[in-house]
Amino acid sequence: MDIEKKIQHLTERLTYIRDIFAGKHNENVRLLETKMEDYRQREASLSSQDRAAAVATLEDLFGFVEQKLENDLTPMDKVRIVRHPQRICLRDILENVYDNYTEIGSKDEHSIDPSMVIARAYITRRQGKKTFNQSVMVIGQEKGHGEEFRNGGSVKPWGNAKAQQYMQVAEIENIPIHTYIFTPGSYPIEDSPGAGQQIAKNIYELSGLRVPVVAVISEGGSGGAEAIGLADRRLMLSHGYYSVISPEGAAAIEGRLRDGERASQELIERCASQLKITAQDNLRMGYVDRVIQEPELGARPYHFDFFRTLRQEMLRATDEVVLGVKGWGPFRALALRSRKKKATGNFDFDSVHIRWSLSSSARDHLVEKRHKKFRQLSRYAAVDPRPWTSHFADWLKQALWDGYSHFKYDFFRRHTKNVSHALEDIDAEVRVVTNSMVHFWRKLGAKLFGRSRRKNAETERQLTKLSEWDEQSARDANWTYTSPRAKEDRAITCPNAEVQGCLDLWAPDLFGEFAGVCPNCGHHFPMEYQWYLNNVFDQSSIVEFNSDIEAGNPLSVDGFDLKIEQAKKATGQKSSCMTFEASINDTKVVVAMLMASFRGGTVGAAEGEKFIMAAERAGKKRYPFLAYVHGTAGIRIQEGTNGVIQMPRCTMAVRRYIDDGGLYLVVYDTNSYAGPIASFLGCSPYQFGIRSANVGFAGPGVIAETTGMAMPPHYHNVYKALARGHIQGIWDRREIRFNLTQALLTMGGRNLYYR
Amino acid sequence: MLDVSKLLEEIQASPYAEISVNAPHSGTLTFNGLVPSSRVVGPFGDWKEKKGTLLATIERERNKKPLHATEKGEVMLVHEELAGTFVQAGTEIMRLRHYLSREEVLSIILKKALHLFNAPERAKYYFIPAVEVKVKVSGPKAISVHDGMELFIMSRMKREAPLSYTGPEGVIYAVYFSHNQNMDAGQPLIGVCPPNLVGAVEDAVMRVQTEWREEE
Amino acid sequence: MTNTAHKVLVANRGEIAVRIVQACRKLGLDFVCVYTAEDAGSGHVRLAKELGGPKSLYRVASYHDANELLSVADDAEATAIHPGYGFFAEDYRFARRVSQRDRKLIFIGPSWRVIRELGDKINTKRLARSLDVPTVPGSDRPIYDEMEAEKVARTLFEFQVDNGIKNPLVLVKASAGGGGMGIEEVHDPDLFRSVYRRVRNYAARQFKDEGVLIEQRIRDFNHLEVQIVAERGGANIVHFGTRNCSIQSTGLQKRVEIAPGFDPSSIAYDFDADQLLADITRHSLALARRVKYDNVGTWEWIVTRDGKPYLMEVNTRIQVENGVSAAISRIKGKSGVDIIAEQIRLGLGAPLGYTQDDITFEGMGIEYRIIAEDPDNRFTPWVGLIDSFSWPEQPWLSMHTHVPTDEPYDIPTEFDPNLALGIVWGKDISEVRERGISFLDALVLEGHDKSGSPLKSNIDFLRKKTNRILLF
Repeated sequence: MDIEKKIQHLTERLTYIRDIFAGKHNENVRLLETKMEDYRQREASLSSQDRAAAVATLEDLFGFVEQKLENDLTPMDKVRIVRHPQRICLRDILENVYDNYTEIGSKDEHSIDPSMVIARAYITRRQGKKTFNQSVMVIGQEKGHGEEFRNGGSVKPWGNAKAQQYMQVAEIENIPIHTYIFTPGSYPIEDSPGAGQQIAKNIYELSGLRVPVVAVISEGGSGGAEAIGLADRRLMLSHGYYSVISPEGAAAIEGRLRDGERASQELIERCASQLKITAQDNLRMGYVDRVIQEPELGARPYHFDFFRTLRQEMLRATDEVVLGVKGWGPFRALALRSRKKKATGNFDFDSVHIRWSLSSSARDHLVEKRHKKFRQLSRYAAVDPRPWTSHFADWLKQALWDGYSHFKYDFFRRHTKNVSHALEDIDAEVRVVTNSMVHFWRKLGAKLFGRSRRKNAETERQLTKLSEWDEQSARDANWTYTSPRAKEDRAITCPNAEVQGCLDLWAPDLFGEFAGVCPNCGHHFPMEYQWYLNNVFDQSSIVEFNSDIEAGNPLSVDGFDLKIEQAKKATGQKSSCMTFEASINDTKVVVAMLMASFRGGTVGAAEGEKFIMAAERAGKKRYPFLAYVHGTAGIRIQEGTNGVIQMPRCTMAVRRYIDDGGLYLVVYDTNSYAGPIASFLGCSPYQFGIRSANVGFAGPGVIAETTGMAMPPHYHNVYKALARGHIQGIWDRREIRFNLTQALLTMGGRNLYYR
Repeated sequence: MLDVSKLLEEIQASPYAEISVNAPHSGTLTFNGLVPSSRVVGPFGDWKEKKGTLLATIERERNKKPLHATEKGEVMLVHEELAGTFVQAGTEIMRLRHYLSREEVLSIILKKALHLFNAPERAKYYFIPAVEVKVKVSGPKAISVHDGMELFIMSRMKREAPLSYTGPEGVIYAVYFSHNQNMDAGQPLIGVCPPNLVGAVEDAVMRVQTEWREEE
Repeated sequence: MTNTAHKVLVANRGEIAVRIVQACRKLGLDFVCVYTAEDAGSGHVRLAKELGGPKSLYRVASYHDANELLSVADDAEATAIHPGYGFFAEDYRFARRVSQRDRKLIFIGPSWRVIRELGDKINTKRLARSLDVPTVPGSDRPIYDEMEAEKVARTLFEFQVDNGIKNPLVLVKASAGGGGMGIEEVHDPDLFRSVYRRVRNYAARQFKDEGVLIEQRIRDFNHLEVQIVAERGGANIVHFGTRNCSIQSTGLQKRVEIAPGFDPSSIAYDFDADQLLADITRHSLALARRVKYDNVGTWEWIVTRDGKPYLMEVNTRIQVENGVSAAISRIKGKSGVDIIAEQIRLGLGAPLGYTQDDITFEGMGIEYRIIAEDPDNRFTPWVGLIDSFSWPEQPWLSMHTHVPTDEPYDIPTEFDPNLALGIVWGKDISEVRERGISFLDALVLEGHDKSGSPLKSNIDFLRKKTNRILLF
C-alpha cells in the first residue's frame, strides 16, 4: 500500500474513532489528531524511507489506542459502531465469506426494497482432492455504507415478504438459510401488507421451516430483526446489539418526552446499558448461541481476518445444525466430537464435507428441535413462585390429559363415528319407507273427515294465547357487569360528534345499557376487560389457570420493581396476561387475555410463558384457543430481549397448535400495537377487530419520527386494517358472544371435535 | 362582463369578515384567556385534523366541552361579562375578525360570475345518489348539468321530493349547501359555469391566486 | 292539593307547550319554557314571555338534546319536567335519567320502568295475553328459526281462511323495529320464505337482531282508544272513556278524533257496540292495574267490522287528542276537565281525589287537526307564511294553537305540521256535526308561499269527513 493510501486509511480510522465515541475520550482522539498533524507538517521534509517509518509508527499508535479504547466501550458506543457507515455490511460478507453469489431481485436501488437483499451463494469445501460447492440462501438487511436508498436497513413490508418468499424457495430446494441481521427496526408503515402483518407471517413461516437456518446479528432492532432472526443457531457479532427498542426510543419513553423533545445523552447511555443489548449480555441470557469476536472497535471492510473467522463460524454452525438432526456415520461423529473439544481456530472447517441437505425425517427432527430450543428460552425471566410439587402435579395432569385426549379424540371418536354413520344410513332408509305409508294414511283421513274442529281450536290457541318463551336468554341490554363509569352523573361527548352529529351521552346509559357504544354513530368507547369476562362467556364458567406466574424485572432496571408492584396492586393481577378456560354457549375454550390496564398490556417473559402454556393446554384438551386482546402497547421494553424473544416463542406455540388442527382466534379491542401484532397475534388466520379499535405496528408518533411522514387520522382503524387484509372481520361489542359462537361453528381445523 | 379587478379592489378595501362566535349549546362558560387582538388559528394539519385555538369551554352536565376557532383571525371582542355564567344556546360570546383567504375571495367573486341555482323552498337539500357519488369521488366540477336535469333531493318535514335543475348548461363550479343544513328559499344551492364563461372564470381564479396575498 | 312549590320545565314546543303552560298556571305552578332558533315565533315563546316569572324562557340548541333540557332545568331551578308528546315523552332512558341524576327531578309521566315495560311491543303483547286481553293473532315472541316462522305463517293463513277471510294477509315485522320500519306484507304463502328472509336480513342489519314477529294483517277496522288516568303508585286508576281515531291521512296520521268511540244510539253496528266499548275499557284497566300504571296513558285498539277488538299498543304519554275526551267528561258532574292539568297534578304526587263513579260522560266531541297540507296530493305539507288565522269564539268550541292570530307566522319546516286543534262539543251526533261544519266554515286560514301561491289546508277534507264520523 502506498503511503498516501495508508494516511488516507488512518484518517478514516480517526474519523471512525471520533464518531463512535461521540465526544468521549477526547484526550486519545486529540493525541491521534496531533500525531497525524505532526506527520503532515513534517511529511514534505521526510525521505520516503522515513515517511514509511513514521507511518508505521503512526499505525502502531493507532493500534495501541484502539486496543486501549476497546476495553472502555460502552453499550451505546457499540450502537454507534453498528450504525457507522464504515461498519461491514451484507455486501462485504457476500464478497468475502462466500465463494460465489448472485443477488436475487435487486441491482442497487432497483429493487422492490433495496434494504432487503437476497442472494444465492455457495461455499467451496475441499475434502482431499475433491471440491464441493455447498449452496445456501443468504437473506439479510443491507445498510450499504451510507447509501440513502437502503433506508439504513429498515425494511418495508414488501422487503420482508420477499424474504419470506425465498425462505420458501430454500425449503423447496432443501438448502440451508444464512440470515444476516443489520436492521435498526422495520419501516413502520401500514400497507397491504403492513409492517407488523408481514413480520408475523415471516416468523410464522420460519417457525415451521424445514431447512436449517443460521442467523447472524450485527444490528438486531426488535421486530425487524425477528422477521429473519428465528433460527436454529443464532450467532452474534461481538460489537453488535440486539434490543427491543433503540436506546433513544427507550430514553424517550423513560423520560416521558413529548414529540420533538430530545433525551439527554446521559439518559440514552443509561438506557442502553440497562437494556442489556450487547452480544455478551444476550449470550449470557441465552438468546444467542455464540459470539463471534470482531477486531478492536468493530469489524470494518478491510478486516479480512474477520471474514475468515466468520466463514468458519458459519460453516461450523450450519454443520452442527445438520449433524444434530441427521443420522450420521460413526467416524464423522467421532470427528465432530473431537472438533467440539478443540478450540475454534485450530480446526479448518473448509477441509471436511458434510452434506447440508436433509432427509424428510431429519427435517421433522429439525423443526422439533428448533421448537424445543425456543421453548426453553427466557423461562428464568418470569417469576414462578410455585413449589416443585405443584410443578410436578401440573406435569402429571398434563400427561394425563394427553393420554385422555388421545384416547377420546383420536381413538374413541374415530370408532364411534364409524358406527354412528352406519346408524344414520339405516335410519334414513327406514324413514323413506315409513314416510310414504304415513302420507297415504293422512291423505285418506283428510278425505274422509275434513279438518277437525279440535284442530281449529288448537290453531286459534296457538295464535292468540301466550306462548312459552325463555325470556332470560333472549333479552339483551341486561349486561351482568356494570362499569364504574356508569355510576357517574355526567355527560360524555362522542368523538364523532362533530361529523356525525351525535348528542352527548349520559354516562350511566353509555357505559351501562349501551355497552359503551354510541347509539348514533356506533363509536365504541373502550370498556373494562371485566365487561367481556362477564358478558361474553357463560355465567361463572371462567376458571383461571397459571395465575401464579408473575411479571418481574429480569434486567433489574432501576425503579421498575416499584412500577411493576404498583401495576399489580392497582389491577389485582400479577401480569398483563390472564389465561383461563371458559365456555361460550357450552362450547369450552381456552382464552389468553392481554389487559390494557396492566402496564398497557405489554408482553414480557411471564406473559409469553402464560400465553404458550395456554396454547399448549388448548392443544392438549382439543379446545379452541382465543386470544382476546383488550389492548397491548407491544413488548415490555424494560425486559429487553427477554421480551422480544416472546415474539418467536409464542408464535411457535401457536404454530404447533394450528398445525395440530386447532382453531386460533384473535379479537382486538381498543389499541393493539407492535411486537405481539407482529408475531403471535398477527399470524392467526382468523383475526377480528372490535369496532373503533386500532390495530397496527407503530403508533402515529413513532411513524412520524422514523419515516418523517405524518399519518392521516384513523390510520390504524380496524376498517383500514380490514381493507389492508390484516384482520378478517369487524365485530360490534354487543354481538361478540354471538359472533364468537358463529366463529366456533364455522371456522377451525381437524382438531376441534366439539361440534 | 365580469370585472375582476374592480371586485378585487372592492374586497381589498375591507378584506375582513367578522365572525360571531356563538354558544353552540347552553352551559357554564369559561374563557381561555384570550383578549382583543389575540391571534387565533383555525383547524390545521395535513388533514385539518388538529383543532384550532381553544376559545372557551362550556360545561354542561359535568361535561366540559371545548370551543375551538374555526378560522384564522384576531379576537375583536370578548363578552367577559358572561364568564362563569350560564349561557343559552346561540348567545354571542366572542367576535373574531377574519382576514379573507384566497378561497373565500374566490368564492365571493364566483358568486357574482356564476349562474346561481337557488333553493325554491326552505328545506334540506342533497344531490341525488348518482351525482352524490360522483361529487365525492371527483369533485363537483365533474358534474355537467343541463336544463331539466334531475339533480337534487329536497327534504322537509320528513318528506323527500326530487328537484330538477333549471338554467343554462354548464359544470358545477361551487356547492353552497352542506349535509343536513337547512337552506332558506332563495339561497343559492350551486353555482354553474356555462361554457361561454369558462374563460372569464378561469381568469378570475388565476387573478385571485396570484394577486390575493393571504395575511400571515 | 297540588304542591305549588314546584316549577315545571316544559320540554316541548308548539300547541302542547302552550297547553302545558296554561295547565301550570291553572294549578298555580311556576314553569320554564325552551325554544330553538327556528321556533322563536312560536306561540309558546310568546306565552312564556307574557306569563312567566324570572328564568322562564331559554333558548336551546335542540329539543332532542336531553343535556340541553337538563342543564336548563338546573339553571332555572325547575323541579319537574313535562315532556309533552313526541320528543322524550316515551323515552324511558330520559325518564330514568331525570329521576336518577344527582339533582333529581320529577318526570311528569309514568315511571321509567312502566314506560320501558309497555314501550316494548312484544312485552306488551305477552302481558296482554297473560291477562286474556285480546291481541292480534300471531306470534308473541321473536322468531329466529326459518322453519318455525314458516309454520306460524302457514297456520295464520289457514286460520284466516277458516274464519272466512277472503284474501288472507300476513305481516312480517322486525321484532326490534318500530315506526313502520322493517314491516312487510305477504299475500301468498309461497312468497313467505323470501319475504321472511328479506325482513330478517334487514332486521339483522338495522337492529342487530334477527328476530321477527309474524302476525295476521287485519284490514277494515276502526281505530279506538281508551284514556287512562292514574295516580302515583298506581293504586287508583280510572278511565276517561273512549275515542275513535279512524279518520286519518294516507300516511296513517290522525286527522279527526271523536269521543266517545262509537254511538250505538244513532248508528247501527254489526256488533254490540256498548258491550265492545265496555270490554276494551275493562281490558285496558286490567293491564294498567297489572303494571301499576301511574300517570296518564292511552290504550290503542283496533276493532274489526264484525266487532273483534285487538289491543295494539300502549302510549305512555299524554296524546294530542286528550282534549276531546275532556270535553265530554264530567268529574262529580262538573265540566271543564283538563287531562293535562290532571297529569301534572298526579305526576307531582297529588292523590286522585275521585273515583270512577265520579266520572260521567255527556254528549259528543270532535277534534279537528288543522294542518297546512294538500290532502289531494298525498297530504304533502305546505310551507310558507300564514297571513291571517281567525275564528269566531263559541261556547262549544275550544281552540289550541301556537300560531299567532295577530301577526304573520312562518311555518318552521323542522317539526310536525300541526297548526291548531279545534275541539267542538255537541249534545249528540247531529248537533256536534252541525257545529263542526259551522266552525270549519267560519275558520279563516290564509297565507302564501315564496312563489306567491296561496296556502293549502285540510279544512275541506275535515268538512267532508265530518259527515262520516263513527261510521264503519
